[in-house]
Amino acid sequence: MTREVGINQLKRRDFLKAGLVFGAGASGLAAGYAAVPDAFARAVYAAKREGVNNENVLVMIQLAGGNDGLRTLVPLADPTLHDLRPKLAGSMVSQALPLNAQYGLNHNLAGIKSLWDKGKLAIVQGVGYPNPTFSHFESIRIWETGDPTRRQVDGWLGRTLATSYDSNGHPLTGCACGATDAPGALRDLQATLTVIQNQKTFGFTGGSEVEAAVGALYKGTPGIYGALFDTAIATATETMATLRTSSTSYQPMADYSDKVKLVYSSKNQLAAALQLAAELIVTGTGVKLLHVTLGGFDTHYTELSRHDDLMGYLDSAVSALYQDLAAHHMADKVLIATWSEFGRRPKENASGGTDHGAAAPLLLIGDPVHGGLFGEEPSLTSLDDTGNLKYAVDFRSVYQEILSGHLGADSGQILGSAFERVPFLKAPVAV
Amino acid sequence: MALASTDEQASPVALPRRGITRRQALAAALATGVGVGAVRLLGGSMQQLATPLAGSATGWISPLKSESARVMHLLRRTAFGYSPTQLETALSDGFDKTVDRLIESKPAEPPPLEAATTPGGRFPITQLQQWWINHMLTTQTPFAERMTLFWHGHFTSDYRKAADNTFMYWQNLTWRRMAMTDLPAMLVAVTTDPAMLRYLDLATSTGQNPNENYSRELMELFTMGPGNFTEQDVREGAKALAGWQLPKPDSIATVTVNNNVMRRLPVFSTQQSGVFNARRAYNGGVTYLGHQGRLDTEGVIDRILAQPSTATFLATKVVQHFVTGRPSTSYVAALGDTFRRSRYDMKTLMRAIFKSPEFTADQSYRALVKSPAEFMVHAARALGNPPIAKVIAGAGSGMGQTLFDPPDVNGWPTNEAWISSNTVVERVNFVTAALAQTKGLLPSPHDAVHRHLDGVLGVQTSSLFNQAADDRARWFITLASPEFQLK
Repeated sequence: MTREVGINQLKRRDFLKAGLVFGAGASGLAAGYAAVPDAFARAVYAAKREGVNNENVLVMIQLAGGNDGLRTLVPLADPTLHDLRPKLAGSMVSQALPLNAQYGLNHNLAGIKSLWDKGKLAIVQGVGYPNPTFSHFESIRIWETGDPTRRQVDGWLGRTLATSYDSNGHPLTGCACGATDAPGALRDLQATLTVIQNQKTFGFTGGSEVEAAVGALYKGTPGIYGALFDTAIATATETMATLRTSSTSYQPMADYSDKVKLVYSSKNQLAAALQLAAELIVTGTGVKLLHVTLGGFDTHYTELSRHDDLMGYLDSAVSALYQDLAAHHMADKVLIATWSEFGRRPKENASGGTDHGAAAPLLLIGDPVHGGLFGEEPSLTSLDDTGNLKYAVDFRSVYQEILSGHLGADSGQILGSAFERVPFLKAPVAV
Repeated sequence: MALASTDEQASPVALPRRGITRRQALAAALATGVGVGAVRLLGGSMQQLATPLAGSATGWISPLKSESARVMHLLRRTAFGYSPTQLETALSDGFDKTVDRLIESKPAEPPPLEAATTPGGRFPITQLQQWWINHMLTTQTPFAERMTLFWHGHFTSDYRKAADNTFMYWQNLTWRRMAMTDLPAMLVAVTTDPAMLRYLDLATSTGQNPNENYSRELMELFTMGPGNFTEQDVREGAKALAGWQLPKPDSIATVTVNNNVMRRLPVFSTQQSGVFNARRAYNGGVTYLGHQGRLDTEGVIDRILAQPSTATFLATKVVQHFVTGRPSTSYVAALGDTFRRSRYDMKTLMRAIFKSPEFTADQSYRALVKSPAEFMVHAARALGNPPIAKVIAGAGSGMGQTLFDPPDVNGWPTNEAWISSNTVVERVNFVTAALAQTKGLLPSPHDAVHRHLDGVLGVQTSSLFNQAADDRARWFITLASPEFQLK
């Protein structure tokens, strides 16, 4: 990996020493969540440290809205489930794809089940954190920042980019695919990242003249948003150049389809986003940390059909991604992981749905995983005082294993602490 | 479009050199004692606005000490831009009188949407989006649309889950009519709004088996904010609120939908709100926000309005949309007090905000990023209203804002969240499309720089503007500039 030299290696304090004083408004902004990068710091910070030195890639899939863990990994033999969910339990148990006598996968996860059969699916059960919040937004923030105390403002993957990768000058190191704005998990004051909603339309419709003019227009932009604007345009132009090359050399080796039946259509084109992820990975763009989102998991009503549809959509898109990566001989480098802000209430409500819950299972998929069930099965008879499943595994244990075991990053520095290990990787890089 | 070719434009963007470029620019600016933001264009009729004023080296030079600049600042934040006539009226009225006019004007109703009588509201959402954009472009009371857009993001609903675009249409009409009334009345309207009853599941909740969705978001996102209520309040509130159902249709139409499937769909001849069914309600008492005993929907709303956090939470949100992304605690506390003492009167709150020193403080100058809808409608109005409602309705998605389709129940984010590699490209592409659709003679871009950007341009913008070959190129630079993305 090449390193930028010269002015990019200067630290902010060097500029302060030189007697230059920067916008007063900017430092105040850094105090808040999802803050604007300091107007000047962003432009001069570069990757300064020797960080990760391997080819491993992470694809995080957010199941936004709170995925129902009990309908993802279904307890097959617990009669309590039928008492708690008279409407929802029957078919989900009878149709589940058994993994063993106790658990089965949702019946629409057939592709992921076949990965299980090949030892390429690890499931960590009962993942959560102490004193759970039932607010989507608070819990999303906790998962994104990796901090249940809510003091951390940067995302855990953003911090990883900032501490362990050279993203300045290589904005595609971190990429949000299928989104229009940066997901909180990837945000960090000192990290650059790319956001691409749809690579087919990602480009200046006015052509190269507009591209050149806009490149010149967004330089040294004043004000508290100046550096953010300039970085966004520079990142976009650089990414377009990369995509022009990658799209010509990429041949998809799997069938990605967003033409799926959903009770109501999804905002996110999961398959297209994952296909873009595959393109970036297999064409050697240097992408390392990717994030995609599938929304619609807030199943307060008519959950039966809606959740099944979402499971099927997830299954087809993830299966295609795995197949594509394998055909390009990249499957051994890529870990695919799901996350969701919380699970759902074990007891169903009047609308044929479930309200906000707590602990839930996470799926880890790919050649790097050691297949099997990890963590601890949550008890349906010993619920907490809000009627929710108690967590057994802190979500940061999973992050820690991903960071140190898969990416080879310094998880202690990124997470600020050490957590109990969850050994779901076949050959951890550095633990 | 032809842009004059210079080395600067022809050279590819060189990332590693960004720091140098910036540092050199700063050093030069400091050496000559001129701030980076203070570049004056020659010509124009309001040159005094471009006079450099005090400001930091990296910030925009605020012209807000001038009355006319304050008026334009006000209009940018409240009116989706403006026509030359609207600007002249406001400039001759002055800041204070313009504030009063904005606040006291009765919202102009949009023309009725013919498609709204389609059985089951099964007409394309694009019709509703274009209908609203058209009204934003042509209304005589743009502040009403700005407020409707604010409430559309605050008391938000998603057309996918509401599953009836007539309900979404009604919601838009209701939000506009209630936008400047008072919070107690608004919360009743929101709770019984058919699209909201669907979106947050109150329509299917029962006292016996309550659905918590609306109860939680009513407190967390609509009124009090997180951390000011307990899980027990969520559960008990859900019981107390249960019983609302969708209105009964005037008739049922049997319609053939996809693949020759026959469906029975509701038809409404007039706008309606939810109906209360006592048999689905909760019969017992509840413990809710300090109250014990029986509680109906108005009782729930009263309890919420009795919480001090409600006024502060709403004042903060309004301020973040109209004044600054990071208001001080004392500022929002004072506004919250004013709001609560007025029995939550929106006119009182908005007047207090616009007339507060913070609104026109130098730090507030260009301190907010225009939302995609604001950016596009402002651009269209500045161009003299070319027929681009359809383009605007379709272009929002890549910038992160599709009307009637918020990302989640928290509505749209603000400011910095509007800026990413994807959204900036889409903003530029919109300018390209808008100019392509603007036939004939363009308004003067030199006037536009003064009317819409106060004549305060960054080095790069003014340099490119001055090098541009023709008016079309000058308009491109103006509308695609970072200056125009801000308000």
